[in-house]
Amino acid sequence: MRILLDGFTKSFGAVTVIENMKLEIKDGEMLALLGPSGCGKSTTLFAICGIHKVTGGRILFGDKDVTRIAPQERNVGVVFQSYALYPHKTVEENIAFPLQVRRLSADEISRQVNEMARLVHIEKLLGRRPAELSGGQQQRVALARALVRRPDVLLLDEPLANLDAKLRLEMRSEIRRIQLETGITAVLVTHDQVEAMSMCDRIAIMDAGRIIQIATPSEMYENPRTEFVAGFLGNPPIAFLNGVVGDGAIDISGTDIRLPKSAGALPSYGARVVVGIRPENLGPAGDVPVKGRISFVETQGRENLYDLTLPNGRVLRSIQPVRSDVGLNDEVEWFMRSDRIFVFGEDGARL
Amino acid sequence: MNSSRNLGLVLMAPAIVLVVLFFLVPVALTAVFSFTTMSTSTGITGGAYQLAPNAIQRLRDQFGMVELAQKLGEPSFVIDERGLATLEAKGVAPGIVAELRSNHLNETFTVRRDVERMIRSLRERPSTPEVKLISAEFSRSLANARFADEAALFAAVKAIDAQLTEDEKAALAAASYSGWTWTTENFRRMVSTPDTARTLFNTLAYVSLTLVLFNTGFAMILALAVHYMPERPAGFFRILWLLPRITPPVIYVLMWKWLAWDTGFLSAVLDDFGVRPRNWMLDSAANAWVVVVFINGLVGASMGMLIFSSAIKAIPQSLFYASEVDGAYRWQQIRHIILPQLRWPILFVTCYQTLSLLTSFEYILLSTNGGPGGTTEVWALAIYHTALNNYAGNLQYGYGAAMALVLVVIGIVLSLVYLRLFNYGALVARPLIEH
Amino acid sequence: MTGNFRSWPVVLALSLLSAPLLLMYAYLIVDTITNSPVGSFVPNEFTLEHWSFLWETPRGRPNIWRVTLNSLVFATSSCLIVLAVSSTAGYVLSRLNVPGRSFFLAGVMVLHAFPAITLIVAIFLVLQMVGLYNSLVGVILVKAAIDMPLGIWIMKGFYDTVPWEIEMAGIQDGASRFRVWHSLVLPQVRPGLFALGLFSFLLGWSEFILPQVLAPGNQVQVLSVYLASLIADDNNFDMALFKSVGLFYIAPVLILFFAFQNYLMNIYGGGTKG
Ligand SMILES: Nc1ncnc2c1ncn2[C@@H]1O[C@H](COP(=O)(O)OP(=O)(O)OP(=O)(O)O)[C@@H](O)[C@H]1O
Ligand SMILES: [Mg+2]
Repeated sequence: MRILLDGFTKSFGAVTVIENMKLEIKDGEMLALLGPSGCGKSTTLFAICGIHKVTGGRILFGDKDVTRIAPQERNVGVVFQSYALYPHKTVEENIAFPLQVRRLSADEISRQVNEMARLVHIEKLLGRRPAELSGGQQQRVALARALVRRPDVLLLDEPLANLDAKLRLEMRSEIRRIQLETGITAVLVTHDQVEAMSMCDRIAIMDAGRIIQIATPSEMYENPRTEFVAGFLGNPPIAFLNGVVGDGAIDISGTDIRLPKSAGALPSYGARVVVGIRPENLGPAGDVPVKGRISFVETQGRENLYDLTLPNGRVLRSIQPVRSDVGLNDEVEWFMRSDRIFVFGEDGARL
Repeated sequence: MNSSRNLGLVLMAPAIVLVVLFFLVPVALTAVFSFTTMSTSTGITGGAYQLAPNAIQRLRDQFGMVELAQKLGEPSFVIDERGLATLEAKGVAPGIVAELRSNHLNETFTVRRDVERMIRSLRERPSTPEVKLISAEFSRSLANARFADEAALFAAVKAIDAQLTEDEKAALAAASYSGWTWTTENFRRMVSTPDTARTLFNTLAYVSLTLVLFNTGFAMILALAVHYMPERPAGFFRILWLLPRITPPVIYVLMWKWLAWDTGFLSAVLDDFGVRPRNWMLDSAANAWVVVVFINGLVGASMGMLIFSSAIKAIPQSLFYASEVDGAYRWQQIRHIILPQLRWPILFVTCYQTLSLLTSFEYILLSTNGGPGGTTEVWALAIYHTALNNYAGNLQYGYGAAMALVLVVIGIVLSLVYLRLFNYGALVARPLIEH
Repeated sequence: MTGNFRSWPVVLALSLLSAPLLLMYAYLIVDTITNSPVGSFVPNEFTLEHWSFLWETPRGRPNIWRVTLNSLVFATSSCLIVLAVSSTAGYVLSRLNVPGRSFFLAGVMVLHAFPAITLIVAIFLVLQMVGLYNSLVGVILVKAAIDMPLGIWIMKGFYDTVPWEIEMAGIQDGASRFRVWHSLVLPQVRPGLFALGLFSFLLGWSEFILPQVLAPGNQVQVLSVYLASLIADDNNFDMALFKSVGLFYIAPVLILFFAFQNYLMNIYGGGTKG
């Protein structure tokens, strides 16, 4: 089911948290709402499921305007960060609850609960209570409960935040598998870019109540619209350097790095800009020389992450296959790939 | 019921009903009653008209209607048609009735002896029992007769004094009305009577002594002592000192009586040291005060102890360790680390207990009952004695309500002040589910 | 408790201070089953004679079992009313969007601090007017109403600890607000209901002034009034009898308190009435 937020505005008292947002979620896709803490992701989610009343704008499910419809009648499944399982009910009763509310027959309920349990692989846990489950298992139960009544939309509010690293990896692919298997339209709220990139068809990146960019993960990684987006995606993160537009090139302040002026409209001579360089675009190969001192080496197994401190004190990162010829405190000269560099204006917009 | 608004109103309804019935209405009625003369003798519903001796007296003294008062006060006999008709119906000899009607109609007598002499001297010479029977039928005495309304009263009085003026009627009605009336006398009386000052002083002494010595002072000592103890004895003492609070007041005071009475434990023990046995609870005002303060104090101390204890528990352990490394003595630790943290709890306990001490009287009622000679009578207990229960049995509801109104006003004002002081407003969080 | 100070002087001092209190409670029990020689407090014989009030009813006094039943009815009913009203109103104040919610909340707080006993004169007169004087129903309602603000406050505290997400999940599962309250939230506050129930039962069981003023008659007498009138009767002074009745009266309190002190400690320490 296609979801459309049109001119969505939300205020708490005098504080307007989200103003005039437009967001479309296509039928069957999984969309990530990605952004820093407090940017309004949960608020958007709560507006879609109806827990919050919207201050302005419309919410459409398909062609149906649900803006004024009570949450109980919207048919939205939600998985909360804390899972919100009912502690006094067994796993089976938890999953059965949405069906009991709809007064289905006992046989039908038990059939659907078992089917759902099979889908999320918790057939053996049906008799237990939530307190007797691991985090990952609770997560599966929460998913099953959200999906059992075949909602039009599945909303997931930071579903992996409470899991340890290994489980998180496992549940990432599990959630994606289940979403694909059921073909349900889903919105995933997260502030973890890896999660967003690995699980979702598209990412909507938010900041301070506004959507900055919506795109597929690779599109967004390769073509960020603003400095904020570029900084948010990528691990290890992108590094930024301040520069000034010079004569046919951008001079990086405090160094002798000169970036050739690529095609496109650059601001006039003397304008200040910000240059972003991703770690994989700095290394032994490239066209723009960069001199600096290796100030930190982090071994990641197959690859090493180097911190390169420039003469002006700023730090660039470089990720390279493990090599033994350079070490800590070595002075080196590496190269950037100027075609992979992002240049942003003072207002943060991509140039 | 999907809307939280409707559900909320439904779920809230029972509480609102109880609040209205048992808080708002009584507050209003306390104010209303305090402007009435209600008492045991007036009753609490509407009154009647009764020519009781005090009504006659009032007619004479307050309204100056000496003659009317005298007439009404005396027993009187009137030979009238009503009496004659009754006699006929009762089958008294027709000759007697006829003679009374023809010769004596409308004669009045104020003394029974006179009317009986007249009857005896009738031609048919009635026997003595007959004389009594006949005279009774002509008795028109209104002493102590009750009338439901003014009309009935006037009709009856007409038989005695046919020419009632409007003035006399008004005075008669006012003097003989036995129900309650509106008045501001209660408050005037409260301000002028010396009992008020004494009771007020007692109340202040009782509240401040108990509060300072026990509810905060002793409670603090208990909390500190328990703090500097291993967990096991600490738990034991916490429970032990909570006992006075959970013990029903009647038993708790009974145990004190066992301790303090003239055949009680204290007397018996002190007897061995040559002290004359006596009722330590009531033998002197000083002793009564000690007992009252102790009894209430031990009950209040447990609350302070628990609150202070949990406040001390909330102090980060590192503060204690740091101070011990600095070589602080125990009392320095108490002064510089513990006490500063207890400022709010102490204020809270003080506020809370001021109100509850001000209005609680059951322990005093059960122990000294205000004695000896009213020396431990506090305001709340005085209300009880005035309006609810006393030896004389004359309960003055109106005056009691006026006294209670003072406490009600203090209670409302103080609770509003506390509400501000402790910023309860901050506890009101917006509901997260908006539908 | 920290390590560096010796604790035994404190324990010793507090023990001495506590001795009279312990003594009073010890003798409350000892005196009911023993006799002591005149002028002495060392028992010299075991006896059950002081407990004869259980099977013999003195003239002019109600039967003890009748009185006990009244106490039970009084305490249980007022406790049930308090529970019912507090569990609903507490939820509203904690969670629901009702107009004037913060006004209600402030009202409950004022009522909580407000000493309701000051209203007793008016309540006494009203009960007489409406004919509920000297009836258990009247005094039960009054007791429940007076304990209610505290109950609402306590229950609101318990509801506040239930995660919002549970309710949100319930709503998303399609349940009405009522259903969410009843089958999802209420089970979470069961310990709170239990503690409040216990507490208000004990309050009702111990109450003296209200029944004394509003329902003193023999037919509706409760244990506290019964015992107080026994003690107030100057013609029959029998301390051992008083104590036996007292022990009979306090036993349920002590048993409940020791069995469930963990539940109760918080309420007693929470700055509550009583
Ligand atoms: N009930 C509320 N009342 C007032 N302000 C609120 C309320 N709920 C959220 N806000 C504010 O709205 C903004 C957005 O909050 P929201 O919970 O949507 O952030 P978020 O993106 O989900 O953050 P996080 O990643 O920390 O969960 C925040 O600044 C928050 O303080
Ligand atoms: Mg959030």
